Amino acid sequence: MIGEILDYAINGALIGLLYALVAMGFVVIYRASKVFNFAQGELVVVGGFIVWWLALDLNLPLYLAIPLAFMISAVVGYVIERVFFSRLVGESVFSMVMVTIGLLILIRGIILILFGAQVRPFPAVFPLKPIIIGDVLIPQSLLYGGIVAIVVAIGLSWFFNHSRRGLTMTAVAEDHQVALSMGISVRKSIAAAWILGAIISTLAAVIFLSGKSLTFLASEVGFIALPVALLAGLESIGGLVLAGIIVGVVQGLAEGYLDPLIGGSVGSVLPFFIMVFILFVRPTGLFGWKTIERV
Amino acid sequence: MAIQPSGVFFENYAQDKSLIKTKKQWFSLALFGVFLLLVPMIFGPRIVAISNIIIIMAVVVVGLQITTGYAGQINLGQAAFMGVGAYTTGVVAAKAGLPFWLAIPCGGVSAAMFGYLFGLSAVRIKGFYLALTTIAAQFIFHFAILNLPKSWFGGSNGLTVEPANLFGFKFNTDSSFYYLALFVCVIMVIGAFGIVRSRHGRAYVAVRDDDVASSMMGINVIATKASAFLVGAFYAGIGGGLWAYYLRFVSVDQFTLFNSVWFVAMIIVGGSGSIVGALVGVFLIRVINEVVTTLGPVVSEAFPFVGGSIVFAAMNIILGGVICLFVIFEPKGLMYRWNIMKTSYRIWPYSH
Repeated sequence: MIGEILDYAINGALIGLLYALVAMGFVVIYRASKVFNFAQGELVVVGGFIVWWLALDLNLPLYLAIPLAFMISAVVGYVIERVFFSRLVGESVFSMVMVTIGLLILIRGIILILFGAQVRPFPAVFPLKPIIIGDVLIPQSLLYGGIVAIVVAIGLSWFFNHSRRGLTMTAVAEDHQVALSMGISVRKSIAAAWILGAIISTLAAVIFLSGKSLTFLASEVGFIALPVALLAGLESIGGLVLAGIIVGVVQGLAEGYLDPLIGGSVGSVLPFFIMVFILFVRPTGLFGWKTIERV
Repeated sequence: MAIQPSGVFFENYAQDKSLIKTKKQWFSLALFGVFLLLVPMIFGPRIVAISNIIIIMAVVVVGLQITTGYAGQINLGQAAFMGVGAYTTGVVAAKAGLPFWLAIPCGGVSAAMFGYLFGLSAVRIKGFYLALTTIAAQFIFHFAILNLPKSWFGGSNGLTVEPANLFGFKFNTDSSFYYLALFVCVIMVIGAFGIVRSRHGRAYVAVRDDDVASSMMGINVIATKASAFLVGAFYAGIGGGLWAYYLRFVSVDQFTLFNSVWFVAMIIVGGSGSIVGALVGVFLIRVINEVVTTLGPVVSEAFPFVGGSIVFAAMNIILGGVICLFVIFEPKGLMYRWNIMKTSYRIWPYSH
């Protein structure tokens, strides 16, 4: 019984860390450019397809394919920023939201044209054999993924809170006008954010899809990452780890115990109930800056 | 507000306030009305079917125009509100046996309540936080329908609805339904013109432009925002009710986030803050949609390597591209451009 709870909780927590990694893509882009990128899930899929194309279509070894995929996704992120968001500096929130949603649909269409709708195998980056401790069964990809997520979170929060470049990006997130008048290049900062966001998405794709199959529907993970980002508070990278674990454990336990009772997908919708609850009760999330516009 | 052509001037306030100001406008409106009435007789069944969908969506998008275009509240859950209306209409028609002229308003009211619930969140938050809440509405709607007992809403099997029936006359063909839908749509559109010109409509615009300033002017910002959602969702519910009677089958996949995005795209293309803009947007996007659906099989025959998913892919690329292009290059939509052209034509050769 205890072992069962532990099994659901630990696996939930590890999946939660994965959501946190996807959510880091959101937060990095949000922190540097004030754009809330609804197309984050599509960036994950783009990353996945780049890896698939390099590793299985061109048959490159993984140690070459993955770094190359990071580089290509960086270019993709840069191109998206140049084409769409560099024109929207200082525009209204409505425009930003709509462009990211337009982008979501556009990328989905382009993926369908380039790669088709069929299911692709994804290379097993991590060993497939699960680790068994007592009653708890942990897939290795999730375990390493969790470790990577925590390391990336520590690295990014150091970058944003202590390095010069990161602090200038934080200034841009506070206010475009003020940042400009302090001599910070808003455009460079936003471009850097998109490159970083796209690379993180590819990293998340590698961990999330390792040894599984890949279709354009994998972008759903982008929507599940929304509640995580919101619970953490949109600006806090360290907070994402905690928020991811909370959402993951709640979801894992709900899948284990509530689904058989109520039937169906309580686990998959619970994060959205959490999200609505946070939006009503504490829209700044757990660790967000208290700058949210209230009425 | 476009400048009136030379020679048109008003002698009393009633004329100045009226929507249709000149005899020519009355004439062209009447001509357009006659054309609408004749559509089922002029065109074949396919065009009539497309017109039915356009009319139903027009009702939904006019509602979204009030919420988003006039009151400035982002709403990405209009399809969910429409779904609530469609399901309610279906259930009260099938289970309680209500006639359609009661069932459709029932759908509208229940959608309005559902929308009001999410509108309450607009009271505390705005911008993309609000977008998130309405997206959550979409997910929660799906979850609720699929997981509530099958005997209530049919779960994943969907819900079958009997055709609308008025004194024994059944609206079970495309052309007979066309008149029912057109009748409802005309009432709703006239209502929308009334709402946006009224005290409430002016309050919506004031809140959209600046909620702090409007609260200084004595507008109850909270009630205004919530009522914008209430009205918008009511329109969605009426549209959903028509949808239920038209397809006579309601299922959850008809009301996805994707559909909500389509609705918002229609507003962006047509022009936000204009009822006519909403209608133009619905018409244009639906026509593009139909053209792609028709051409899709032809294209996939010509280029076999792209496969059968080309229609869906092309729709995605066009919709995404249209949204991005309009937001970046023409954020005020086609109606705005049209009004500029009209004004500059009227005052030519002067620039002001």
